[in-house]
Amino acid sequence: MFKAMLIKEFLLVSRDKHALAALFVMPAVFILIMSLALKDVFNEDKALIEYAVIDKDHSLESYSLLSKFRANKMMTEHNVSDDFGKPKEEGVQFIVVIPEGFKSQFSQNEANNSALQIEVASDIGQSHLMLFKTQVLSSVMQVRLDAINLAAEMQSSMRGEKSEAKKIEFDEKSMMKIHYAALEEDEKPTSTQQSVPSWIVFGLFFVIIPMSTIFISERKQNTLMRLSTMNVSLPILFGGKIIPYMLINQLQVWVMIAVGMFVVPLFGAAALTIGGDISALIAVSLALSLSAIGLSILIAVTVDSVEQATTIGGIINILLGAIGGVMVPKFVMPEFMRDFANVSPMSWGLEGFLDVFLRRGTLDDVMYEVVGLVLFGLVSLIIAAGIFNYKIRRVA
Amino acid sequence: MIKITNLLKRYDEKVALDHLTLEIKAGTIFGLLGPNGAGKTTLISILNGLTKYNEGEVTVFDLPLNDNLNAIRKRCALVPQTLAFYENLTVIENLNFFGGIQNIPADTLKKNIKYAVETNRLGSMLNQKASTLSGGQKRRLNIAIGLLNNPDILFFDEPTVGIDPESRNEILETIMSFKKDNKTVVYTSHYMPEIEKICDEVAIINAGKIIKQGTLESMLTNESAEQLIIEVYETSMEKLKASCTKMERLTVIDETSLLLEGKESNTVSEALALLEAENIAVKNIRYGTTTLESLFISLTSKGRADV
Repeated sequence: MFKAMLIKEFLLVSRDKHALAALFVMPAVFILIMSLALKDVFNEDKALIEYAVIDKDHSLESYSLLSKFRANKMMTEHNVSDDFGKPKEEGVQFIVVIPEGFKSQFSQNEANNSALQIEVASDIGQSHLMLFKTQVLSSVMQVRLDAINLAAEMQSSMRGEKSEAKKIEFDEKSMMKIHYAALEEDEKPTSTQQSVPSWIVFGLFFVIIPMSTIFISERKQNTLMRLSTMNVSLPILFGGKIIPYMLINQLQVWVMIAVGMFVVPLFGAAALTIGGDISALIAVSLALSLSAIGLSILIAVTVDSVEQATTIGGIINILLGAIGGVMVPKFVMPEFMRDFANVSPMSWGLEGFLDVFLRRGTLDDVMYEVVGLVLFGLVSLIIAAGIFNYKIRRVA
Repeated sequence: MIKITNLLKRYDEKVALDHLTLEIKAGTIFGLLGPNGAGKTTLISILNGLTKYNEGEVTVFDLPLNDNLNAIRKRCALVPQTLAFYENLTVIENLNFFGGIQNIPADTLKKNIKYAVETNRLGSMLNQKASTLSGGQKRRLNIAIGLLNNPDILFFDEPTVGIDPESRNEILETIMSFKKDNKTVVYTSHYMPEIEKICDEVAIINAGKIIKQGTLESMLTNESAEQLIIEVYETSMEKLKASCTKMERLTVIDETSLLLEGKESNTVSEALALLEAENIAVKNIRYGTTTLESLFISLTSKGRADV
């Protein structure tokens, strides 16, 4: 009986080009686009700041500052003329003007009225400005320390002493070591690891479209009624939907992982690696699948037409994705939105997948999310069964 | 085979079936006639276990319906009015699915599919997608699916809606062929000529009640009708037609029967005298109507159904 249902659902989905596009092509394309688009956000060696410098001081100190800027891999310098326009017009984000008398900053005896002047493009956000300010301050600090170290060395030399004092260093690598939680030393999260989980979650919930379309056609054409007269009970009917779509969902998960592992690197982004347990990955994907299928069946039994199903299903998907951190990462959300994100099952699935892909999670680590997703799926199915029975009783 | 006693079905306050009593014998093609809302579909739904009833008794194969629903369903099939199959599957995929879903053993299913395909002349289109079939072919596939469990009783709910006359005739012939396979057919339709053509017994239902039931022959015998059927020993149509031209109220039905408009004694005497003069031997005279349609209209126009 289940074999017949399995074959039927597979044949119907495989012949529905729109369903195939929604289930496989759309998330694969999203993974590719988002992995490439966010590639630089997760690459600290990549320039994120475009700037230009006008040096009006032409001092040793200003040259020293310029060399510090140029040594910073996060910043790319552009040339502008002295009568420069707005940063946007010059094709940069920031223009730093080193005023005449800048070197006086480094002398304790002279009045300090030579602050750097920074022109900022109007579309620069506060976090980006903060990043640039930190880089500038760090460079100025290094120039100052260089000056202090040089002065100390010269004093020792004038006294005919051999300098034994250790230089004061202001070097990031000597001051701190970065270690991402659960990752190996020197290992960094990549944009692919961030993107793949999001779009797997989103893609899995798109079973709403083919499932509800087929279910509503079955109801309208009286195929479900015919199946009832063939002793097909409600649990068998639902089971006949759950099992095939769960297999389709698993196929989706592994196709998306393959895209992350083998296709994304072809376009220059990092390949996906699975850091955590495969058992945890399977548990999360099965639980997420049950929750997506439960919601799909609930929508399918509630609405009355294919048009309603595709519209309402699509809207619910996008809302759950937006709330759940699929479209906008949760770490950029304000705290109340981060708390609100937890109402979306997509958020639970996403956290489960991030545990596996990013945090080297085990089965124990994802159990909370797995239980939540299974409960969501079961509750959705129970409500769907109630609505389905109510509708049948109303007709009967 | 099917025995319904005092069946009552209410939808809230509306009475759909009003203490209906009906018996359908094994091996018959039973026509269920009635205007829209008369209760035909409700009755078919109850007999298929899709609708619960409020009062009364229903037995199928001498088994109480409510207590033996699954067992009864295994021996019955419903062919709904809608095309209840998958347009995106081929003919054979549809047959395999609906057969597989019923847990029919593989060998039996293979045999049943062969029977369903042959009976409905679907052999040349097995690998064709259902969506590409013509209206008549789709109807035949709809019927073929109903044959997959080799049922003893087949319920047809207006199976010829929206198809051309040629396809309709093909389907009616298919349904008539079930009689030789000893199947019982319960057939609802709005097309009276179809019922006349294929049914052995007919029940006319109106406002949830059976208002007339019997064999087609007895149904067409109506004492209140203003017509008589004169049965004669078989003779040539030409001779009968020639005779009828001599009396305006006399018309030929077939080689053995004539219709006389009016039942007054002088009209009857005139017709008999004419036939005697033409050397046509009279066998019997009976009350009658010409068509089931006129009977249906006269019966159902007495009351309108509410449900």
